Amino acid sequence: MLNVAPRVRQYETLPSLQPPGIPAAAPLPVGESEDTRRIIERFGDAVLAAGMHHGQQIVYIKPDQLVPLAEFVKTDPHLRYETLIDVSAVDRSELPVSDHRFHTIYQLRSYSRKQHLMIVCPLEDADEPTAPSLTGVYSGANWPEREVWDLMGVRFAGHPDHRRILMPENWPNHPLQKQVPVGGEEVPFTLTWEDPEFESLGKQILEAKSVPPRLPPGMNLENMVINLGPHHPSTHGVLRLVVELDGETVVNVDADLGYLHSGFEKTGENKRYKDFVYYTDRMDYLSAMSNNLGYCLAVEKLLGVEIPPRAQALRVIMAELQRIASHLFWLSTHVLDVSGTGMSLLMYATRERERILDLFEMACGARLTVGYMRVGGVSRDIPPAFLPHLEEFLKIMPEQIDDYERMLTHGPLWSERLIGIGKITREEALDMGLTGPMLRGSGVDWDLRRDAPYSGYENYDFKVPVLNEGDCYARYLVRMEEMRQSLRIIRQAVDNLPDGPYRAEDRKITPPPRAELDISMEALIHHFKLMTEGFHVPPGMVYHGIESSKGELGFFIYSDGTARPYRLHVRGPSFNNLYAISKMSKGHMLSDVITNIGSIDIVLGEVDR
Amino acid sequence: MGLEEKLPEGIITTQLEALVNWSRENSTWPLLFGLACCAIEMIATGTARHDISRYGSELFRASPRQADLMIVSGRVSNKMAPVIKRLYDQMSEPKWVIAMGICASAGGPFNNYAIIQGVDKIIPVDVYVPGCPPRPESLLYALDKLRAKQAKDTFRTYANRNMHASPNQAQEIESLEALRRLQPA
Repeated sequence: MLNVAPRVRQYETLPSLQPPGIPAAAPLPVGESEDTRRIIERFGDAVLAAGMHHGQQIVYIKPDQLVPLAEFVKTDPHLRYETLIDVSAVDRSELPVSDHRFHTIYQLRSYSRKQHLMIVCPLEDADEPTAPSLTGVYSGANWPEREVWDLMGVRFAGHPDHRRILMPENWPNHPLQKQVPVGGEEVPFTLTWEDPEFESLGKQILEAKSVPPRLPPGMNLENMVINLGPHHPSTHGVLRLVVELDGETVVNVDADLGYLHSGFEKTGENKRYKDFVYYTDRMDYLSAMSNNLGYCLAVEKLLGVEIPPRAQALRVIMAELQRIASHLFWLSTHVLDVSGTGMSLLMYATRERERILDLFEMACGARLTVGYMRVGGVSRDIPPAFLPHLEEFLKIMPEQIDDYERMLTHGPLWSERLIGIGKITREEALDMGLTGPMLRGSGVDWDLRRDAPYSGYENYDFKVPVLNEGDCYARYLVRMEEMRQSLRIIRQAVDNLPDGPYRAEDRKITPPPRAELDISMEALIHHFKLMTEGFHVPPGMVYHGIESSKGELGFFIYSDGTARPYRLHVRGPSFNNLYAISKMSKGHMLSDVITNIGSIDIVLGEVDR
Repeated sequence: MGLEEKLPEGIITTQLEALVNWSRENSTWPLLFGLACCAIEMIATGTARHDISRYGSELFRASPRQADLMIVSGRVSNKMAPVIKRLYDQMSEPKWVIAMGICASAGGPFNNYAIIQGVDKIIPVDVYVPGCPPRPESLLYALDKLRAKQAKDTFRTYANRNMHASPNQAQEIESLEALRRLQPA
């Protein structure tokens, strides 16, 4: 079918959309903190730079001292960085610098001390960059490092499972390197059917051939190896699991990701800051509001813009509504997978979810991919009918949650399938870099909303549910309680909803109101500049994490001073949480693998990005 | 109407073709298969408020052998394309395809290396649904459109359709590299 002759006609290249502004590398950190002082004391000259940058502790370290540094910060009683949150890399070949083409960047978190540390490791070789692997120190580095190798082409020496993770195995390049084009298809701009431009339509791409399946490393063909997905009703999307079975007992699980890899990060580097908000909706499509919020907060951290209190309260209301909607969907699909009474609960839970979607529709016009938030505030104020409907929702929702619990919590079927399944201890959870309900179900008392507050969460009174069992049942209880706490937060936000503007008044960042355009030339100029060029963001690099419904959703942005991010990396909570599937499933029955997938609460759009 | 006057009560006459089409229209079973955001709206279509069973399509079948309709709900990545092709080939005739949402129809906002610019590059599509994602009402309207199409089907077109012509091998998909090599620099 696709054996058509390739088009020969070359397109005239479009005028460059590169916005004005001189690219510059992110400045080195300045000043010092207690932790950086301690690291400099210990490592001396191996520390290339250390200090504070946008309120974050950053340490530049030579590659040969990276593993000792990680061991030091993990074990030192004064530092105690227990968890590796994220690994990413920057290709600096388009920056006005000549040295160290690749930097790998690590985000570490100390839960006990409520501290965050960013480690930057400049790599020597520009053609075959190699970084030491941190998997020996934090086992959670496994998948993030594989992702960096896959997309950026940085090798990790000493990695136990050095394979591609998202792209097909026979993919020819590493797409996030700067010399690799974005790809895609050119859109014909013509009005006549005779135009040869139309010939190009439908003659595009398809790199991935079907390759014969390979046995993942560590699997034994003496046992039965079965393939689960990517088309399977209970993998919640296009996840593929290769499961090795001894009888009905699971011996080994290997996850094959990337069936929904959509190139978000590469796309983000080619969009203006303001345009990427809509893409974040499509990443974790069950919590679009949270994704909006995380991205906007990261950009605002770089800009240093002040958000008016009403916008902050609106953001909190929306993010918490989204958390409830996401948990409702998790609950209904989880029950559908696990328990025989699933269909009725799917109907009940989606009934309440539809109410939340109605509220979103009132606020922004869309149900699922909302695009409600903007850098500097929200896109519009809530309509007058919003609050009465929200009141009604707040009134009925607690009873509904009790209803679901009555159907499940003490039900013999539900507890038989969940109690003791997929156990993760506290140490394992920290080591694997799990976040969100996965972490709180294993006894780590951590919630970014409370412990690193953003968007005014410090003003609300709510509890963080923590359970020590670490099994699927504990995670279920944690999520149910989170819904109730979210209702409490919304209640407080509605009661104290401040008046005032719903977005920042900074005309360099947010467009002026429509009425102003009719009377003010300056407003018109600002509007024109914002719509055509976007706003420029000062050079720097930030990581900002928020507590999404699935865990810590982090955005790492490297800005070079132009209107587009130089590097945009997303730390998807489901991606890191899914790493636990192998550990959770070993030794259990095959049907418990399905329970575990549901319990992790994955969204493949975010796992694969 | 000579014959019907003589028949006992409760018996009607019709064309066999019309009867077959009528039954196909009213029980089109979709493949239980979701890709991205649109899959969530597809599930919402199946739940109480929108209630896809009014169209006889509530029975989402997990096996392609039992499904008549493939709703491609979301963006199709390069890695997923061979899988979708194979699923389509495994469905038994007659079969229909709805490309739900702009990503499945034409690539949508993801004009990049990872995403196929429209699922019609690999399988034939009957109904395209615009939207990002389409609302459940749009999907129901697409089902309406599909019913109109099914109603016009004749035995003659089935007889003329070469059911074995479609390549069953996913490997036959052309590679981009091959296309690029042929293209003058």
